[in-house]
Amino acid sequence: MRKGLVWLGAFVLSAALAQAEVRIGVTLSATGPAASLGIPEKNTLLLIEAGRLDRMPKGVKVRFFILDDGTDPTAAVKNTQKLIQENRVHLIIGGTTSPNSLAMIDAVAEAGVPFISLAAAKAIVSPVDEKRYWVFKTPQTDELMSQAVVQDMVARGFKTVAYLGFNTAYGEGWAREFEKAAKAAGLRVVASERYSPKDTSVTGQVLKILSRRPDAVLIGAAGTPAVLPQRTLVEKGYKGQIYQTHGVANPAFLKVGGRFVEGTLLPAGPILVAAQLPDAFPSKRVALTYIAAYEAEHGVGSYSTFGGHAYDAWLIARSAIERALGAADPGDLAAFRKALRDAIEGTQGVVGTHGVFNLSPTDHLGLKFEDAAVIVRVKDGKWVLERSFR
Amino acid sequence: MIALALVLLLALPWVLPPFYQTLFVFYAIAALVVLGLYLLTGLAGLTSFGQAAFMGVAGYTSALLALRVGVSPWVGLFAGLAVTFVFALLLGLLTVRLKGHYLPLATIAWQVALYIVMGSWVALTGGRTGLSDLPAVAVFGLELRDPRYFHYLAWGLLLLYALALYRLVHSRHGRMIRALRGDAVAAASFGARPPELKLWTFVIAALGAGIAGWLYVHFVRFVNPSPFSLEASIFYLIMAVVGGVGSFPGAFLGAGLLTGLEQWLKDLVPLVLGKSGNYEVIAYGLILVGILHLAPRGLWPWVEARLPRRTPPPPEGEGLAPRAEPLPEGPLLVVEDLTKSFGGLLAVNGLSFAVRRGEILGLIGPNGAGKSTTFNLLAGVLRPDRGRIVFREREITGRYPFETVRLGLVRTFQHPHLFPEMTVLENAMLGTYPRTHAPMLASMLGLDANEERRAAAEAYRALVRVGLAEKAFLKAGALSLGEQRKLEVARALAADPVLLLLDEPAAGLRAGEKRALAELIRRLREEGITVLLVDHDMELVMHLVDRVVVMHYGEKIAEGPPEAVQRDPAVLEAYLGGAA
Amino acid sequence: MDPLIFGFLLSDGLISGALYALVALALVLVFAVTRVILIPMGEWVVFAPLTQAVLLEGRLPGTVWLSAGLLLVWAVLDRRRGRTPLLLALAAALVVAAGYLGLAVPALAPLVAILVVLPLGPANFRLFFEPLPGATVLVYLILAVGLHFVYKGLGLAFFGPEQFGLPALLPGEASVFGLPVPRQGVLMVVAAGALMAALYLFFARSLFGKALRAAAVNRIGARLSGISVREAGRVAFLLATGIGALAGVLVAPLSNASYEMGFLLGLKGFVAAIVAGLSSYPLAVAGGVLVGVLESFSSFFASAYKEAIVFALLLPVLAWRSVSSLALEEEE
Repeated sequence: MRKGLVWLGAFVLSAALAQAEVRIGVTLSATGPAASLGIPEKNTLLLIEAGRLDRMPKGVKVRFFILDDGTDPTAAVKNTQKLIQENRVHLIIGGTTSPNSLAMIDAVAEAGVPFISLAAAKAIVSPVDEKRYWVFKTPQTDELMSQAVVQDMVARGFKTVAYLGFNTAYGEGWAREFEKAAKAAGLRVVASERYSPKDTSVTGQVLKILSRRPDAVLIGAAGTPAVLPQRTLVEKGYKGQIYQTHGVANPAFLKVGGRFVEGTLLPAGPILVAAQLPDAFPSKRVALTYIAAYEAEHGVGSYSTFGGHAYDAWLIARSAIERALGAADPGDLAAFRKALRDAIEGTQGVVGTHGVFNLSPTDHLGLKFEDAAVIVRVKDGKWVLERSFR
Repeated sequence: MIALALVLLLALPWVLPPFYQTLFVFYAIAALVVLGLYLLTGLAGLTSFGQAAFMGVAGYTSALLALRVGVSPWVGLFAGLAVTFVFALLLGLLTVRLKGHYLPLATIAWQVALYIVMGSWVALTGGRTGLSDLPAVAVFGLELRDPRYFHYLAWGLLLLYALALYRLVHSRHGRMIRALRGDAVAAASFGARPPELKLWTFVIAALGAGIAGWLYVHFVRFVNPSPFSLEASIFYLIMAVVGGVGSFPGAFLGAGLLTGLEQWLKDLVPLVLGKSGNYEVIAYGLILVGILHLAPRGLWPWVEARLPRRTPPPPEGEGLAPRAEPLPEGPLLVVEDLTKSFGGLLAVNGLSFAVRRGEILGLIGPNGAGKSTTFNLLAGVLRPDRGRIVFREREITGRYPFETVRLGLVRTFQHPHLFPEMTVLENAMLGTYPRTHAPMLASMLGLDANEERRAAAEAYRALVRVGLAEKAFLKAGALSLGEQRKLEVARALAADPVLLLLDEPAAGLRAGEKRALAELIRRLREEGITVLLVDHDMELVMHLVDRVVVMHYGEKIAEGPPEAVQRDPAVLEAYLGGAA
Repeated sequence: MDPLIFGFLLSDGLISGALYALVALALVLVFAVTRVILIPMGEWVVFAPLTQAVLLEGRLPGTVWLSAGLLLVWAVLDRRRGRTPLLLALAAALVVAAGYLGLAVPALAPLVAILVVLPLGPANFRLFFEPLPGATVLVYLILAVGLHFVYKGLGLAFFGPEQFGLPALLPGEASVFGLPVPRQGVLMVVAAGALMAALYLFFARSLFGKALRAAAVNRIGARLSGISVREAGRVAFLLATGIGALAGVLVAPLSNASYEMGFLLGLKGFVAAIVAGLSSYPLAVAGGVLVGVLESFSSFFASAYKEAIVFALLLPVLAWRSVSSLALEEEE
C-alpha cells in the first residue's frame, strides 16, 4: 500500500514536472554528404544540452531530442513527424540542407509547430505564406552571401567570372543566386560547371573554365571536397582570383588545402574571424563566447560557422521561450507551440554569432546584410578578415 | 484470415500512434515498388536497379502538372502513369533483350541517367533543391493531409495493384513468366513469346513504382531527386530479397520489416551505444547479412516451410475444347530434303521421310548422326538451310515453336525442362498455354476464371493419363527422374498434341521405368496421338515403334519396320563397323 | 578543341581509367571464382589511402583493429583446422605490428596501409560468403550490399566525413609527349599495366592460377581434380583486395580521399566489369579505360550531365556486348 502511494506520488510529481518542460526536437544531417555541416550543429546543441554553452530559460527545463536524417529529405520528414507526434515537441530546430528544410515545411505547418531551419535557401522562409508562417531560419540566405561575393568582385574591378559548384542543392542554390547577382551587377558569367563531391578528378571542368579566361572563379562547394577544384585550377596554372563559399569555413579545408588555398577569398558570417572584428561589431562578443566554449570541448580551431547557426537558433529559441511562458503553459501543447511561434516572430535585438536578429511577420530571418557578412581571406593557413560591409 | 487482415487495415489509423501511422503509409509506398520487383525479379528473373527512377518519373510528372498547370493530383496520377508507361516501354524494349548481367547494368545505367537529369535540369524540375508546396490529394473535397486519411488512399491503391498482380501471377501468363525465367527454350516450345512477355512484365512493374512515386509526392508534398536515386532502388531490391523475392507475401514482409527496421535502429542504437549518427547503418548492414545467412531465399520461404500445408482439392469439370479441325488422310508430317550445316560441319544432309497418322516412328542412328539437329529442326528451334517440313498439309519450315505448337506439334526435352519451384499441376498447365487465350489485362481483372478452371481440369486429366495425379500439388523438384519424364509427357498432352516429338525419353531411366514409359506411349497411340521418338535405347525403340528411320552422318541410310532395319547391312555397318 | 586540352583530357581519362580498370579487374576476378559481385570493394579501395593518411597524422587507424579482429574471429571459426587458427592469429598480430611500424616509419605508410587492408578480403569471404556456398547471384549481391553499408558506416566512424590529402609517392610532373602529367599519374598507369601483365602470367602460366581459372569455369570439375573451391575463393578475394588497395593508394594523392568516394568508384569499376561480361580481363581493362575517358571528356563538354552521359552511352555498348556474347540455346 505504502509502496503504491510512493509510486503514485512519484508519478504525479513527474507529471507535474513534465508540465514545466519545454521539448525541442532536432533533425540534422550528422551523416551523409552534409555531415561536415551537421556535425558542428549537433556538437553545439549537445553543448547547450549539457549546460556548457549557455543558460537555460528561466523557470523551465528544456529537453532536447536529437535525430539524424542522413541528408535525406524523406528521413527528415519522418524524423519531423516522429518528433512532433511521438516526442510531442514544442519547437523544431534543424533541417541542415535546403531540400531537407523545404521538405519539412508541410509537416510543421500541418501540425502547427514552429521550426527554425539551419539551411541556406531563401525559399525556406520567403514569401511568408500560410505555411512559412511557422518557419524561421538563422543562416544567411545564399542570396545574401552571393551579394557579398559580387560586391567584392565588383570592388576589385573584375569583369568576367566563372562558377564551378557542387551538383547538389547547395551548389545549385549558389549557382542560381550568384549568377543572378552577378548579372545584376554587370559581371559576365563565362562558364558554369558542376562536379560531384565524390569525384576524383575535375580536369575537364577546369580546362573548360581556363579556356574562357575569367578574372575570377567562384567554387560553390562545402567542406574538403572544395579543395580539389581549387588545386586543379592552381596546378593547371590559373592566375586569377579564386573565391570559395562559406561552406568551406571549417579547419579541415585549410589543412587539406594547404598551399593551394592560400589567397582564397570567401564570404562568411562574422563569427569566422570573430577575434579580428572591430569591437563595434555587435556579434563579436557572443561569437567569442561561443568559440571559447566550443574549442574547450573540441580543440583549438575546431569551430565552424555552421555550429554558430545552431547556437543562434538556440538564442532565439531561449528568448522566445521566456516570452512565451507569459502567454501560455508548456503543458498545453497546441497553445504553447503557437505562443512560441509568435514569440519567435517577435524577436528583437537578439545578438547571435552571425549578427543581430530582428524578426517580423514579413522577415523570418531577421539579419541585416552589413552585420551578417564579411569577406575573409586565407593567409598563412589562417582565416583573416579582409573587409566588412559596415 | 484475409478478412481479418482487411478489418485490421481499416481500423489501423485509429489504433496506431500517429508516427507509426506515417510509417505505415511509407510501408504501403515501398510495398508497391517491391511487388513490382517480385514480378520482375522474383518471377521473371530480370534484376532491376531502376525502379526508383520510375517512381520519380510519375512523381515529377504529377508534381510539375500540379504546380505549373494547376491540375488536380488525380489528373497527375493518370498523366504520371501514362508517362511512366511510355518510359517503361521504351526502356524495356532496350533492356529486356539483354542477356545475363547486361540487363541489371542497363537498369543501373538509365536509373543513374534519369536521376541526374532530374537533378540537373533545374529549369524543369527545380533541381536538387526540389519543388515544395505540392497540393494534397482530395477525395470528394476532403484533402488527404493527415496520414490517417492518406492511409486509405495508399493502402487502397496498393491492394488494387496487389490483387491484379496476384491474379496475373496465377494465370496462364504468370506460369509462363515463371517458366521464362528458368528456361526460355522450354517456355517458347509451349507458345510463349519471351521478348513480349518480358516487356509487359517490365511495364507492369514500372507502373507499380509509378503509383508509389505519385503517392510519395502527394504525401510528403515536396519532391526532389533524392528518393528516386540508385541508393533508393537498391533499398527496394533489398526489401524484395530479404522478404523472399520469389514470393508474394515476401514482398509485404520485406517492405514492412525494413521500413520499420530503419526507424527501430534509429531508436535502439543510440540507446545501446550512447551516441547516434554513425552506427545505425552498420547495424542495418549487419542485420541484413544476418537475415540472409539465416534465410538465403528470403524470410517468407523460411516462414512458409514451417507452416502447415493444405492440399487443395483436385480440379474437376470439363477441360478445354479439343481440336476441331480434322486431320488429313495422308501423312501427318513430311520432311523433304532437309539440310542444315553449322559452319563447315554438315549435320543434316538431304533428309527425307514421312510420318503417318497414328504410328510411332523411331529416329535412330549412332552418335553424331544428326538426330538432335533433326529434332530441333522439326521442333522449330533451328532453321534449315534447305528443304521443307510440311505438317498437316501446311508448310512449317522455319516457323517458330510458338506457332507450330498451336498446330499440335509438341515436343519434350532430353533433360527435363521442368520448373522445380512450380507444382506438378502448374507445370502441366503450361502445356495449355497455346490453347488458352485470355490476354494479360483480362487475367489481372480476374475475367479469365472460367478458362483457368478448364485449363486446370485439362492439365489434371493429363496427369491422370500419365499416372501422376496423386502428386499434382507437390513441387515438381521433388519428383524422381522417371516421374519428371512423365510430367513432361503430361505437359505435352495438355497441349492437345497431334504429333508428339519425344527427345530421348528413356535416357537415365531404370528398366521398370522404361517399361512404364513404353506402356504410356502405346496408350497414347491408342488414343490417336502420333509419336516420333529419338532414342539410343535399341531395345526400347525396336519393341515400341512401328517404323524406324536410321540416320548416319546426317543422311538417311535406312527406313522401314524394326525387324527389316535391324538386318539392313548398311545399318549394321554404321553401328558396328568403323568409328562413328 | 585545341590539342593541348585534348591531351590533358585524354591523360586525365587514362589515369582515371587505370583506376577503374584495376577495380574492374578485382571485381571480375572475384566474380569469376565465387560469383560474388563485391560491392564493398569500393570501400576497401579508399580504406587503404585513408589508413595511410591517419598513420601519417600519427594515429593508429581503426582499420588495424578491424582487420586484426576479423582475422581473430576467423581463427575462432576455424579453430579445429590444424595450424590455421595459429597462422591467422599470427597474421592478426602482424597487422597490428605493421600498424605501429607505419606510425614509426612514415615512409612505409602506403605499404603498411595496403597490408592492413589486405586481410579484409579473405576474412569477409570466410565469414560471410563461404557459409552460403549455393546461394544465387542475387543473394550474394544483396549480401554484398549489406556489407557495403557496414563498411561505409565504419568508414565514417574511423575516418570522419572530411577528405584527406596525401603526399605523392612520386611528386612533380613529367613530360609525356610534351604534355605535363603528374608523375603520380604516370605511376598509376604503369602500375596498372604491370599488374595486368602479372595477372595474365599468373593465370596463364602458374599452376595456382590455372587452378583458379578451373574453379571459376567448373566448380564440380575443379573439386574432382583436387582443387579446393573454398581456397580458390579466399585467394581470389585476397588478390582482389590487394589490387584494390594498391589502386587506392596510388590514386589518392591525385584526388584526396574520403570515406564516401568508395561507392561511386566501385560502381564505375563494376560498369567496366560488366562491359567485360564479368569474365574477360582484357575487356575489363578496356571497359575501365572507356569509362575513364568518357567521363573526362563529358566533364569538359557538359559537366552537369557527365555521369548521365557516361551511363547512357553504356547502353549501346551493352546492347552490342549482349548480342555478341554466345546466344543461349540449350543449357546442359
